[in-house]
Amino acid sequence: MPENTTAPARAMRLGVAGPVGTGKSSLIATLCRALSGELRLGVITNDIYTDEDARFLRSAGVLDPERIRPVETGACPHTAIRDDVTANLLAAEDLEADFGPLDLVIIESGGDNLTATFSPALVDAQVFVLDVAGGGDVVRKGGPGIARADLLVINKTDLGVHVGVDVERMTREGRSVRQGAPVVALSRHDEASVRTLTGWVRDTLAHYRTGEHTPVDPGPMAPHFHTGQDSEEPHLHTHAHDQDPAHAGHSA
Amino acid sequence: MSASPLLLALLGDARLPSGGHTQSAGLEPALRAGIAPAEVPAYLRSRLRTVTMVEAGTAVVALAVAANDGDLTEVEAAWAARTPSPALRANGRRLGRGYLRVLQRLWPGPVDAHARTWSRPVVLGLLAHRAGMDPADVARLVGYDDAQTVAAALLKLEPQDPLTIAAWVSELLPNVEKMAGKVAPLRLPEQIPAPGAPLIERWAETHDTITERLFSA
Ligand SMILES: Nc1nc2c(ncn2[C@@H]2O[C@H](COP(=O)(O)OP(=O)(O)OP(=O)(O)O)[C@@H](O)[C@H]2O)c(=O)[nH]1
Ligand SMILES: [Mg+2]
Repeated sequence: MPENTTAPARAMRLGVAGPVGTGKSSLIATLCRALSGELRLGVITNDIYTDEDARFLRSAGVLDPERIRPVETGACPHTAIRDDVTANLLAAEDLEADFGPLDLVIIESGGDNLTATFSPALVDAQVFVLDVAGGGDVVRKGGPGIARADLLVINKTDLGVHVGVDVERMTREGRSVRQGAPVVALSRHDEASVRTLTGWVRDTLAHYRTGEHTPVDPGPMAPHFHTGQDSEEPHLHTHAHDQDPAHAGHSA
Repeated sequence: MSASPLLLALLGDARLPSGGHTQSAGLEPALRAGIAPAEVPAYLRSRLRTVTMVEAGTAVVALAVAANDGDLTEVEAAWAARTPSPALRANGRRLGRGYLRVLQRLWPGPVDAHARTWSRPVVLGLLAHRAGMDPADVARLVGYDDAQTVAAALLKLEPQDPLTIAAWVSELLPNVEKMAGKVAPLRLPEQIPAPGAPLIERWAETHDTITERLFSA
């Protein structure tokens, strides 16, 4: 049973995380384009070196530029969305004070690696974005965002044929890693997929408003099965994974 | 009424979630303006004699005013008058909100409706009053935090042996003590020292307008 059934006083905060270049900013632009007619939106970007993301989104013309705010993270994109969320919380507060009330504040994390996810102290729900260009294997590598973000997006499906990735299989594997939790295979060129994405955002917002949505931490590490064991329960490991694509293959 | 020395450790710890990781204490624009990493010890001492002394003096006075149930907006005005850069004032007030979150969670109680607009040293003074800290300790905290902020940012901007930088901070501690001793007796807004650091102020202004930066200020 949900514990909190009173209507929340503030906008829902939706985090968008995922490796560099998988299409987080583009996905946010897509959401703004599709939803700004019906929802009052604000966007916060966490760039690492520049305010590139904020500028990209402002120039996309999908939202009043004033509603898009960059936050500096002092070269600590993880810290800003997990250990010390102060800068992001203040930016969200400011957006709501300046334009409030708002329905949805979308926060883009600084593009990082597979381990970066948002703290539930900052966001109510989060999307983890992968793209097919990163290779079909990435999903199987798991990680907290892939396995337990509220939504996994497999982006740029239009590129599948060009990079030799079987999109359907990648999506299926995503569902299995996530034990059935939602996966959207997305391309901004595919209207139906965009509708699925916006539908998920609307549903999540509706649940948030009725107090039925509980923010969850995807966790710093992924639980996984030991192959060869036939236990039904996922086996929770607390050791660090060695699957970070930033390091894989470069060590030794 | 004297607080545990560990309180100073808690508040001076970079892991305190108050938004400190977004700060370089002016180092990022200073390096960009051409100061060499080897000059950082001198940069630290210059800050301690100028902007940091203003911060520490403000925090001490805010503590005294809060203890007498006085008007902290006057202390805020005195700080603003001594902080000519609008970018630094905006940044100081953003940091103040971060510390206000710390204050409200760790030492809950009613706060003035204006508290959300107060700068970090004013909020720190209020916090120090609530937490039962000495004036000298709050001044030490401001001095130490400033030095460690520069040190941590240097490791991101111009990495070198972290122990060299830790040694610089350690060597600065007597200067921090001296500064704290100087401002600890202050009680009134007009007593807050008003030294200027025009280059630091100017660099902060430039930093505020550029699009490529790691740190807010
Ligand atoms: N083909 C194709 N390209 C896409 C799609 N979505 C985004 N892209 C492209 O992918 C590149 C990266 O997109 P961004 O939205 O900037 O990615 P990001 O994840 O925000 O990047 P960082 O913020 O740098 O981590 C850009 O060149 C986009 O045009 C898509 O659906 N299909
Ligand atoms: Mg981006």
